[in-house]
Amino acid sequence: MLIAALVGLLVVLPLAGLVRVAAGGGLAGIARALAAPQSVRATVHTIALAAVVTALAVPGGAALALGVERQEPRRRRVLRPVVASGLIVPEFVLGFGWTQAYGPAGLTDRLAGIPLPGLYGPAGIVLVLATHAVPLAYLVVTAGLAVRADVDLHRAARASGAGRWAALRTITLPLLRVPLLAASALVFASVVNSFAVPQLLGTPAGFATMSTLVYQDLNLSADPAAFTDLTVVALAMVLLVLVAVAPAEVWLGAVRTRPPNLDPPVPAGSGRLVTAAVWAFATLTVGLPVLAVLLAALTRAPGLAPVPANWTLANFADAFAGETGAALARSLWLAAAAALLVPALGGLLAGLRGRLAGRPLVLAVTLSYAVPGSALAVGVAIGYGRWLAGTALIILVAYLAKFWILGYLPVRAALDRLSAEPVRAARVSGAGPATTLATVVLPPLRTALASAAALAFLFAFHELTMSSILYGPGSQTLAVVVLNQRELGNIGTTSALAVVLTVPVCLAAAVLLPRRGRT
Amino acid sequence: MSDALDCRGVCLRYRAGVPVLTDVDLAVAPGEVVALLGPSGSGKTTLLHAVAGFVAPAGGEIRLGGRTVSTARRCTPPERRRVGMVFQSYALWPHLTVLDTVAYPLRRRGVGGAAARTRAHELLAGVGLADLAGRRPAELSGGQQQRVGLARALAAQPDLFLFDEPTAHLDAHLRGVVLAEVAAQRAAAGAAALYATHDAGEALAVADRVAILYGGRLVQVGTPADVYARPAGPAVARLTGPVSVLAAPARAAGPGLVSVRIGTVSVTVPGEPGGRILVRPDWAGLGGDLPGRVAAVRFAGPHTDYELSTPAGDLLIRESGPPRLPAGGTTTWTLRRLWPAGDGTA
Repeated sequence: MLIAALVGLLVVLPLAGLVRVAAGGGLAGIARALAAPQSVRATVHTIALAAVVTALAVPGGAALALGVERQEPRRRRVLRPVVASGLIVPEFVLGFGWTQAYGPAGLTDRLAGIPLPGLYGPAGIVLVLATHAVPLAYLVVTAGLAVRADVDLHRAARASGAGRWAALRTITLPLLRVPLLAASALVFASVVNSFAVPQLLGTPAGFATMSTLVYQDLNLSADPAAFTDLTVVALAMVLLVLVAVAPAEVWLGAVRTRPPNLDPPVPAGSGRLVTAAVWAFATLTVGLPVLAVLLAALTRAPGLAPVPANWTLANFADAFAGETGAALARSLWLAAAAALLVPALGGLLAGLRGRLAGRPLVLAVTLSYAVPGSALAVGVAIGYGRWLAGTALIILVAYLAKFWILGYLPVRAALDRLSAEPVRAARVSGAGPATTLATVVLPPLRTALASAAALAFLFAFHELTMSSILYGPGSQTLAVVVLNQRELGNIGTTSALAVVLTVPVCLAAAVLLPRRGRT
Repeated sequence: MSDALDCRGVCLRYRAGVPVLTDVDLAVAPGEVVALLGPSGSGKTTLLHAVAGFVAPAGGEIRLGGRTVSTARRCTPPERRRVGMVFQSYALWPHLTVLDTVAYPLRRRGVGGAAARTRAHELLAGVGLADLAGRRPAELSGGQQQRVGLARALAAQPDLFLFDEPTAHLDAHLRGVVLAEVAAQRAAAGAAALYATHDAGEALAVADRVAILYGGRLVQVGTPADVYARPAGPAVARLTGPVSVLAAPARAAGPGLVSVRIGTVSVTVPGEPGGRILVRPDWAGLGGDLPGRVAAVRFAGPHTDYELSTPAGDLLIRESGPPRLPAGGTTTWTLRRLWPAGDGTA
């Protein structure tokens, strides 16, 4: 009951509000809003970006997964976090880093006179989003490899006379069909969802996507009709994501998995090549951009060479001169609140597993994660604006709705591993229900709850899309301040704040990753 | 004719680690079945993987039918070795039907689709699965899955079969059925085989010779009767069947005869001299001159095991028929033969 009410408040209320306002103008209103030239353009741009990025990132992620996961364990342990490093850096920092590394007056321009052509515009957005999505596809395919493509299946094909490529074509890829589809859906949805990179790289070039259009209409127009129009665009984003994600949900739900074989993998002969490729990829797409941000943060003025003679901490002092300290504190407590509440919400929902009522609730929570942040934020603004507009609480509501699933998934996975037998054994050994919960059920869940908390903290701390829509005077989050500094053209302070935005995330990841390796 | 398999000085280590295989010399003649017997972790699977070409040895060389396939420098890929492998985990491809699975090795060798399916049907009929050709692995029982794995290995018409504990995941009854099927099909195909197992009964039953792998080294190679009667040490003796170790020195007492003293009584039996002695349960019997106390009696249907406490240590005696003595009383027993336990760990 409690959980159903929470789902109603956090998920159904905002989405229903969105639908109500969008449908307010009737069918004619919807048609008019969708037919407006800027809506059509933004929709076409969004779909094209999502399709191209998916077509690039999924094969790339799959190739990396096949290359890395079939290495010997020691090499794999080193390479995995290197591949995933792109996910650890906030999307905004990554996009900003690319402009500082490869843009006009960026590192490569200054050192070699070669700026990356087309970085501001669709090509640049595709490039940055694709490199950001490769680790995502990699993680999904890796999980699929572990449970579906047992190494013995590959060996059996090789012993049956199949060469490396024939085995890949006839056995491994068909076995990975479902993870590949899931990765495609996930990447597609994440591109539709993406706001920071299109805003950074597309808006200066006049290239709008649905998420930047919603942001701009909301910030620049006070016209109520324009608000209705943007809710229609937001709703269209929801539908676009549903079209991509729903079939994947069905496929994923229908497939049985089996426990992975923990055999030593096939030592591939191409170990050095794979290692070199992974390091090159991570250095070019993450390492150099982050380094460029760090250098820009330390350099006195944007035009100067980033050498020690020009280094200063003044950018950090400037950055924290105004609202920033308060925004940082706000972001930290919002992230801490999310880290506390998301595992609790996730645990409550996971506790329903097996009950009939649980399924629609899980579906609703999955949906609210898949819904693009822009759309969810508009829904939250409609649903809660009356009471909470301009406060940080409304941002917390949006975070909880969006990240609830991050608490649910790890806890449920841990519960699935927990068989009924240890519980029975505890009861037979004389433990009451409460003692059993405390001594047998919760200890194995501790890791899952901790990783749920860490994930919620990370995601909340660098959340930008929803915060940038929901903030009011005096309730900016750190990410919003960074975005605003960038829009004002303050490269030095933006860089300094980007560093501040990235550091807690990297620290948390450094704590989290070794733990992941053990489980 | 060259040996089907010839391993010379094969060494293998996973990086950063203890050696997995050390100086393995093993030859399998054409048509011969060699059982690779060892406890888990002794390197059986690794040796099979080296022969199949899944791992490269760090030293030594491997020849198949006279052709060098693995050296420290060069390694022929698995698909060009013409071996047939049957896996412990069955390793059936979940997305292929039984028929497509068995046709797979034929297709990879360029046989046309229709011809490959016809041949696969014949092979499936041979292992009694003709009517399951359209099923997928998830719809089969464990025994059926392993027979599909066997048919797939047969389809490759290999010169050497590699069996990696094919019955380990089956229950006792099915194990016998699948073992018989494996033996019969292997014999019909006439190819040589290397059969890894940790089960003494299985190894002694299927093999022409038994190779015992212990800690990554081959410690003894011989016929089943030989390794059972003359094990190289206590560990080999335990691997090859039930055995008791008695703390009684055996002294030479003529050609092929030793005298051994247990408690106050000395007996002279066939054997070799040594510090401690090994006694198989069928090398001793109830009744006679030697003293003992019956510690436990276990009835197993066709035979009964008697656990005796003797002055030289605990002794297992196996006799046919139902129990003849209650546990707890004293008894006498006879020693018919023995084998010295040796000094090595193996």
